[in-house]
Amino acid sequence: MKKNGVKMIKINSKNVDVFYGKKQALFNINLDIEENQVTALIGPSGCGKSTFLRCLNRMNDVIDICRVKGQIIINDFDINDKSCDVVRLREKIGMVFQKPNPFPKTIYENISYGPTIHGMAQSKNEMDEIVENSLKKAALWEEVKDRLHEPGTGLSGGQQQRLCIARAISVKPEVILMDEPCSALDPIATAQIEELIDELKKDHTIIIVTHSMAQAARVSQNTGFFHLGELIEHGSTDKIFKNPENKRTQDYITGRFG
Amino acid sequence: MNKNKEKLLNSRYRAEKRFQFYGKSAIFLALLFLTIFIFKIFSTGYTAFQKTWLIVPVTFDAETMYLDENPSKEDLEDADYFDLALQTMFNLDKSATEKQQNDLKRMVSYFFEREIKRELLNDPSLIGKTKDVYLTASDDLDQVFKGNYPRDLPEDQRRVTDYQLKIFDQLVEQGRVESKFNLSFFTYPDSREAELAGIASSFMGSIFSILVCLVIAFPVAVLAAIYLEEFAPKNRFTDFIEVNINNLAAVPSIVFGLLGLGILLAVFQLPRSTPLVGGITLSLMTLPTIIIACRASLKAVPPSIREAALAMGASKMQTTMHHTVPLSMPGTLSGTIIGLAQALGETAPLILIGMVAFVNTIPGSPLDPAASLPVQIYIWAESAERGFVEKVSACIMVLLGFLIIMNLFAQIIRHKFEKKWS
Repeated sequence: MKKNGVKMIKINSKNVDVFYGKKQALFNINLDIEENQVTALIGPSGCGKSTFLRCLNRMNDVIDICRVKGQIIINDFDINDKSCDVVRLREKIGMVFQKPNPFPKTIYENISYGPTIHGMAQSKNEMDEIVENSLKKAALWEEVKDRLHEPGTGLSGGQQQRLCIARAISVKPEVILMDEPCSALDPIATAQIEELIDELKKDHTIIIVTHSMAQAARVSQNTGFFHLGELIEHGSTDKIFKNPENKRTQDYITGRFG
Repeated sequence: MNKNKEKLLNSRYRAEKRFQFYGKSAIFLALLFLTIFIFKIFSTGYTAFQKTWLIVPVTFDAETMYLDENPSKEDLEDADYFDLALQTMFNLDKSATEKQQNDLKRMVSYFFEREIKRELLNDPSLIGKTKDVYLTASDDLDQVFKGNYPRDLPEDQRRVTDYQLKIFDQLVEQGRVESKFNLSFFTYPDSREAELAGIASSFMGSIFSILVCLVIAFPVAVLAAIYLEEFAPKNRFTDFIEVNINNLAAVPSIVFGLLGLGILLAVFQLPRSTPLVGGITLSLMTLPTIIIACRASLKAVPPSIREAALAMGASKMQTTMHHTVPLSMPGTLSGTIIGLAQALGETAPLILIGMVAFVNTIPGSPLDPAASLPVQIYIWAESAERGFVEKVSACIMVLLGFLIIMNLFAQIIRHKFEKKWS
């Protein structure tokens, strides 16, 4: 989205290095993410695209041996700074994982969990509203409205993933990170999720890691290509797919390796 | 070449068959031992659930009880029943010599006086009348009636005299001997007399010990496990702790008994022979078992659940308490029950802290002296009387029943609650 013809930058990463123990996984990543756009991160397995994604909501903190250097600036604030509160950060930056991972609780409880711990609803009615809206936004409401109090783990894979998306948007995050959200789903479920992503970009900035170049081409406006821990090239999806500058990008896009 | 291949294939099939045969014979052997063991216990123990009663006519003669006319309830309570009871037994053979009278008295338990008294207190109008009263037979006659006593031994090697046998046979003929369900085995405390000995004190002792053990071990172990698994940094020090928890689980239980003796009794001066001390000692033993079970089930919670919660902005503490711990509870609980079942069967540490003392009262709290079921088995197994042999087996049956119920419970918890999250 452009305001006064200027692209709004939501996330600005500067010189990001990531180490797992002594092994360096990311080298000097500089990537700007535009607001209310879908940015796809592509690249062969092990290239560091998921690692980069997990830097953005500091999920790498969970891994003991992982160290992140450099600046990641969101809303004029460096999230790697010591003063940054991880809990507040993750409220603003939601995440959807590769494998659907609903809590082994009811559908309702899955959605209400985030708003509950962040104190977003004052009453039962308010909570019902949040749950309904989140499920509607995730295009799941019609399918589950009669069984909100049944376990979320009883849904099909695609429904579970949409439940996870609904859970992520229940706390109204500014950014949603998606780590190969469709890799465990069949083509129909994948199509539903892609449609959903397009819808969600009105209210959220979306960053999606994907193995499927076709998917990147379908859903994203911007694309970054990672290889061996480096960001080789980034820019508008059109340009990356039709007219890549770098030889390696071209080879990957045309399927010569990866 | 082809022949070689065929040979190789055949030898592989044979190897598999051999292996299956070994496996099957191992299972067969295990089952055989188990069957023999259970058969032995049941065949010697089942008679303990029956008790032999002599039905003796008692004439409630006011004079023998030194009662005035129209005695009040208190008078009946305070009256002397001993002479009446003696007289009742002597009446079985009016021509008995003094020595034979002594034999007659020994045909019933020393509770006979109380049994007669209870009868009269239940119905004071019996004064002056005669009524058949059930008296507990002595353990030797009990065994004779159950057929466990070799009657063909020479008299001087028997505890039952020929005279007693003669009178007993007469009573049997008159239908004055009856075998009924042995309720007193469950309601009486231990006794030196086999016919009166019951498991009430040891059963309650076991229950109290287990409760104390649960109350102490469960929270401590679960907190330790959660901290170690979810919060503690992984370094050499925590590795060291982990190794030592595993070592602790392998420490012989008698060592914990010595610890209880040396610290709980000697230093803290806690009351000895009580389920409180027993429970604390057992909790030391159960602690590593529960910690290991709890850590294993925490580990089994898929990391994706933790990530999901963390990504929603839950703190580490919220992630643990809202998601990981509830999901690990079935495993933890069944581990706890199995740990408690182990503690229930433990004898050595309890002997060291004095729960082996002869206790003929039923404990009402963990602070009263008590025995425990396995110690009771040990005490009875040491006794020479024939009547205790069946009691040992019966007590083992009760203990086994208890253990089976606990393990069943552990299984049910595991199956019922683990279904939820696959």
